[in-house]
Amino acid sequence: MTIDLLEILLAGLVAVPGLACAVLALPAWFGHRFRESTIVSIIGSAFAVTTLSAAVLVVVLLVRGETEIGAHLGEWFAFGHDRFALVLLGDRLSLPFALFSAALVGVIAAFSRRYMHQEVGFYRFYLLLCLFGLGVEIVVLAGSLDLIFLGWELVGLTSALLVAFFHERPKPVEHGLRAFLTYRVCDVGLLGAAAWLHHEVGTAQMIEGDALAPWDGLPVPSDALATAVVGLLLLWATMGKSAQVPLSGWLPRAMEGPTPSSAIFYGAISIHLGPYLLLRAAPILDASPLTAWMVVAVGAATALHANFVGRVQTDIKSVLSYASMTQVGLIFVEIGLGLRYIALAHIVGHAALRSLEILRSPNLLHDHQHLEKAIGSTLPRTGLHLEWLVPKRLQPWLYRHALERGAFDALLRDGVVGNWTRVLRGVDRIDRAWTRRLGGPSAEPPVAPPAPKEVTR
Amino acid sequence: MILAVTPLAAAAVLLVTAGLIRATLDPARARRRATQGATLTAALTILVAVVSGFLTGRGHGVLLDGGTEGALTLTLLPAGLLSTTNAAIGIAGLLACALAPLASHPPRTLRRMLLVLAVAHVFVATTEPWILAALWTLSAALAWRELRATADHRATARVFGLHHAVSTACLVLGAALVATGHGGWAIPLLLAAIAIREAIVPVHGWFPTFVERAPLGMVVAFAAPQLGVYAHLELFTAGLPIATAHGVAVFGAVTAVLAGALGTVQTDARRALAWLMMSQSGLVAFGLENSEPAGQIGALVTWQVLAVATSGFAMTLAALEARRGTLSLHGPGGSFARTPRMAVAFLILGFASVGLPGTLGFIAEDLLVQGSVEEYPLQAFALIIATALNGITVMRCFFALFSGSRNHVGEPDLVGRERVALTLAIAALVFTGLWPQALLALHETGAAVLSTGSH
Repeated sequence: MTIDLLEILLAGLVAVPGLACAVLALPAWFGHRFRESTIVSIIGSAFAVTTLSAAVLVVVLLVRGETEIGAHLGEWFAFGHDRFALVLLGDRLSLPFALFSAALVGVIAAFSRRYMHQEVGFYRFYLLLCLFGLGVEIVVLAGSLDLIFLGWELVGLTSALLVAFFHERPKPVEHGLRAFLTYRVCDVGLLGAAAWLHHEVGTAQMIEGDALAPWDGLPVPSDALATAVVGLLLLWATMGKSAQVPLSGWLPRAMEGPTPSSAIFYGAISIHLGPYLLLRAAPILDASPLTAWMVVAVGAATALHANFVGRVQTDIKSVLSYASMTQVGLIFVEIGLGLRYIALAHIVGHAALRSLEILRSPNLLHDHQHLEKAIGSTLPRTGLHLEWLVPKRLQPWLYRHALERGAFDALLRDGVVGNWTRVLRGVDRIDRAWTRRLGGPSAEPPVAPPAPKEVTR
Repeated sequence: MILAVTPLAAAAVLLVTAGLIRATLDPARARRRATQGATLTAALTILVAVVSGFLTGRGHGVLLDGGTEGALTLTLLPAGLLSTTNAAIGIAGLLACALAPLASHPPRTLRRMLLVLAVAHVFVATTEPWILAALWTLSAALAWRELRATADHRATARVFGLHHAVSTACLVLGAALVATGHGGWAIPLLLAAIAIREAIVPVHGWFPTFVERAPLGMVVAFAAPQLGVYAHLELFTAGLPIATAHGVAVFGAVTAVLAGALGTVQTDARRALAWLMMSQSGLVAFGLENSEPAGQIGALVTWQVLAVATSGFAMTLAALEARRGTLSLHGPGGSFARTPRMAVAFLILGFASVGLPGTLGFIAEDLLVQGSVEEYPLQAFALIIATALNGITVMRCFFALFSGSRNHVGEPDLVGRERVALTLAIAALVFTGLWPQALLALHETGAAVLSTGSH
């Protein structure tokens, strides 16, 4: 096996899901719809090939004792000093992620064949799942922050569309928009960090670290302030994708989507892309203690918040979403403290367990009864240690805090978004008034309510 | 004098089509003819751009070299960075005609749209200031006449007329000063003219009401070609003084962010579209003032993305409006399942205009941000925020218009002509998005010229 073949295998981890997306999307646009079994076969085969390729790469690297392989696919585009190099990086961080993600997408595709059978949006579900798989493979294998951003955007878009999958009901749509709004606001951090790295270092490509560095990471600006700025921007980007406080309110609402997509997005892969990015940014965290401690603080706050709030939830998907949030918060703490291998193991273990739990969540009552039968009594209560640890006087306050989800949602909705909306609507009113002044009263039509008219084309 | 032949031929096709429509009373027949003319124009401009630029690498292709300064030089296409502009205008024209609803686009409106598009093609065919000034005036007059012709739009016509009278006067005077060698004195006048035309804050007052009231086909025909960008390139060939350029960049960034923010809180789909288009104009205005070639080219690619993607987005909105009536964003009120292709086109084109990966919009965004950050780090950050806000507006419109309801008022999905036009627009954006280097190579010479000229 030559190194060229390995590069082809590495490129195939992105190309095969991309091809599957094209095979599904193009005929659909032109009016041809595949049968359900064909759709599942296309995606299943694509991600089986991807999984196999990733597994081969892992084995070959292990056998050879190498730590990484890069595929330089040339420049996507270049102009002046700006070059967008297509570099994929397979190393001991990205390959386990790529392998695990591809396998999970394949498993979810197979699982959903029955779960989504005869569902109106069957085709849409699988196309979005495939696009998501493509986005994830791009993010984890990207050799530069620019390329990560590309995949990151795809993941965000597909996530919001899948949250709103049951689009004829208003709530899923509202929650999809909320998730997208959070993603979009936080994506500013990722693009900002990439731009700032270009400004400070001249590149946003991963570079080889020192001998102690476990894997390649983002370059570090020479200036401490710039390093902190880039680090904090990256932290901001991860806070949205991984639902860290105070931006965590979208996650339990995102469970409105189909259960298989909830499992893979919010139990397994999408929610762990934040920690993945922070692992890639390890050199920046090492160089900027401020950023590292901020990561610890955000993670710890999230873990505590989600732990308490999750205990008062009354539906299984909300409980699981807060459980996910708790674990991801802990992973943030581990990364901030420099425990990177532990964080990597934690991510893979948590993703596997949580996605299984979410997939089984529709069987909650059955499982509950099964367990009770097995042990011959009702299940024991959990969380008694909290009653022992938390002072009595604090318990009512904590319970209320948990019921209100820490008031973060209200704070964001009314305090931030609400105030900004009021200010912007005020500016809009001034603009309308100015136009009326120039053109007379009828220059500005009143805000029209929705009014269906006859169909005229 | 330099004249490009392909844009002139495109304009001739549109003028002939407008002439044919003049005698047509049947709106459906008029639209069919307009669509045929626009299709021919789009095919011609795309074919020449692809064959001359991409396949043979001849670039703009000099047909007749006048030799001396002032003598007539004929080229196949406008030079360097503008060689694909006509193709973008051609696609915008096709979208405007093929998706024009009959109720709001009678034959008279279609004829004026074709004339405005023809003017836009000729505008980018020449570099003579006095011709540019004449075409600038003609284009604004045609749009103003369209507004004047409908009783409901009179007040909008007043606002439009007021702004564009000032813009035209400034441009004519500025072009005269440039032609007589007093370029320095012309700068404030030309900047004012272009700022009004490009709806840059605070001289944007005409634009939101224009988009809300005018037929969307006319909005696309008038606004999508962004003649102000071309005027900027041709009339400031010596470049702007650094302080002025920085000032313009600040105005562009403020427009991009403010309009982007205002777009997110609108309750009317057309007004949201207006702010979205304004925000994107601000991005282009900001990028043009870069001294980095990547930033400039980012602005120019953004310009062409807007001509195609935002036009498609606007005309999909027009087609939906024809099926449902006034489109409100108060809350979710449509059903994706009824019009899946229309919804997908709306989403793809909307996101392509704000940087969807896999489309030319992503390339434009990347170039604009990376090219700007060296010279304007803070404004580049503002630009990133503006792009994020525009994405929120697009998604909000999508969810409000295509989801949240089971009601079906009988709206059909895209019909054949609409699908062909939208497929062409999406294909152009995806093809150039996946293989952008050929397009950028065409632009390379032009940007280098721009770079040495400015500052």
